[in-house]
Amino acid sequence: MGKGFCVLFKKDCRMLVSGKFFLMAVGFLALYTVYVNLGYIRFMQMPPYNVYLYDPAGTQTEKSSLVQVVPSMEAMDAALFSDANGVGLDASAGDVRVVLYKGAEHVDCHRADYALSLLRPFTGSAPEIIGTNTPEQKARKEITCELLFFELAAVGFLGIAAVLFKEKGMGVICVHAILPLRKELFLLSKLAVFLLSDLAFAVPLTLLNVGVTDGAAILPAVLLQTTILSLIMALVGLLCALLLKDFRQFTLVYLMIAIFAATPVFLSANTSIKFDWIGYHPFYHVYMGLKNAYFGTDISPAYYAGAVGIIVLLFLMVRLAFQREIGKEG
Amino acid sequence: MKGLKYQLKSVLRDKFCLMTFLLPILVAVALNFMGSIDLSSLGELHFSILENDLPPQTITWLERYGPVTAYGTQEELAAAIKEPSTNVIGVKADGDSLKTAVSGDELDIFRQAAATLPALYEQRKNAEQAEVQVLERPDILGNFQGIFISAVLIVAMFMGCTFNAMNIISEKEDGVAFINEILPMTPSQYIFQKVVVGFLFGSLSSLVTACICFRLSWQNFGLLLALIVLSSFVAALIGLFIGKLSEGLMIGVVYIKIVMLVFIAVPIVCALIGMSGLLTVICNIVPSQPAFDGIMALSTGNIKAAVKDIGILAVHGIAWFVLYVLWHKRHATQ
Repeated sequence: MGKGFCVLFKKDCRMLVSGKFFLMAVGFLALYTVYVNLGYIRFMQMPPYNVYLYDPAGTQTEKSSLVQVVPSMEAMDAALFSDANGVGLDASAGDVRVVLYKGAEHVDCHRADYALSLLRPFTGSAPEIIGTNTPEQKARKEITCELLFFELAAVGFLGIAAVLFKEKGMGVICVHAILPLRKELFLLSKLAVFLLSDLAFAVPLTLLNVGVTDGAAILPAVLLQTTILSLIMALVGLLCALLLKDFRQFTLVYLMIAIFAATPVFLSANTSIKFDWIGYHPFYHVYMGLKNAYFGTDISPAYYAGAVGIIVLLFLMVRLAFQREIGKEG
Repeated sequence: MKGLKYQLKSVLRDKFCLMTFLLPILVAVALNFMGSIDLSSLGELHFSILENDLPPQTITWLERYGPVTAYGTQEELAAAIKEPSTNVIGVKADGDSLKTAVSGDELDIFRQAAATLPALYEQRKNAEQAEVQVLERPDILGNFQGIFISAVLIVAMFMGCTFNAMNIISEKEDGVAFINEILPMTPSQYIFQKVVVGFLFGSLSSLVTACICFRLSWQNFGLLLALIVLSSFVAALIGLFIGKLSEGLMIGVVYIKIVMLVFIAVPIVCALIGMSGLLTVICNIVPSQPAFDGIMALSTGNIKAAVKDIGILAVHGIAWFVLYVLWHKRHATQ
């Protein structure tokens, strides 16, 4: 049995190498690393609102250093036009008048009061910091988690289907029906190849983008979640590849999953936009598992139990579909 | 003409092509009519407090700035503040004043808001007396939604690329490519047929998407049409390249994925960071950049910039066409 598994494992590896699968993974790793380190970190910044003050008589003597003084009303209009989030303060007529471009109602209210507060000396105390991450660490962890999820879903799902369709086309499944090997080995070797390649992808992605020290600390938890996600996606990919007629039909399913399944999950998990129904979305829980691993949050045992249950169920379904396929081909 | 009829027939039978055609339209409809995604709430402040900690009037005051959620225990409050997907500010009573807590990983704007909240609370009487003049925003579309819609439109425009690539690859796989070589058809006829198929569907898809997303004047619509036609043409040509270069369906899908990623990422990153100088010139090498820039310019009513982008796209069209003809000739002689 062990020997048979080794032979199948080697054959699957060779197929992935000839399909330029590993080359593609390395290419995407490089692309993502460049994107995170040179692009994402830079534009994920949001400085406080700029406050512009027009005060020809110099009445505002206690103003904060964050206030930018403009020489004329025209200069203030121009500044606000190019920076629509900024707030203008006009002190030319004695009482201070606030000028701002319309945005969301609550935000406008805060912008106006914030700008006025900068004209008085600062009296408050600094906010208490209760978390452990800096904004950069958070941004790095968040984007790495998103990219890993996207890539695992894409690579596991698309890759396994591509390999299986190729084998289907070559008649390998037919040959398997008469080989003196256990039928599960065919499926297990595929799962093992994809699991190992996903794990090998997750390690450098995490270390290069989260940072070596931070990354090493969370790596065991991340790898555990990667294993769960990789197995689920590979099994779903296998199931689709066995049930669907050709690769073309499969890409349709893939496109649907990528757009309609992943987008609401990303929105709900990463922003303050929360959908009421997101709890019923199976991808949401898997994604949150991965995200919690990156942020070191505890994960409930119920999630693990559910994940194991789903993996076993999927495996049984795949085995059934595989046996049906063998019956059809034989 | 007969050849073109066959090309159209083969595309219409292909579910993948039809799906890629319908996808941007579906997303545009979803964006336009569902409206469930309220992006303005992204910049909003969210507060969390302990139950029975703050007086009701303070809670009412906080609600002017954003939603307030009350938690029963200190642990729940801390967990809500630490939650990485939100920028929640914790607020507690501190005698007559307020005390704030943040997780420390928020963007500067939220940390600054937390730092100044106690001062705002102390000066709340003064702030209520101040006169506030609210101006209408100069652009038609909200910042984020504009980028979103333009990105959908870019995807629609570059559908022609997917059409042609998939069309040629499936011809290769079915062996039609070999038959084409012995058919009495000149290379120019072949290029014409292929480009027209991708071009027609790409233009149609983006036109429908544009009609759903934008309400433009006739003059601006003419400019948008020029942008759509030119970028669909360039996309159709790029599709020919991908189709010719990829050996199988799998590699074709990978190429399309990469091209699509570059086409969408470059203009969005440029729009978010705000490129200038030499970098803009380099970005314009990617044909989706002038297309995206043109749509954004049209949505803000900047006709001059839109015309400039149409010019850049026209140059792209000529360059890609010449490149393809040269490459095709070299390939044929080999």
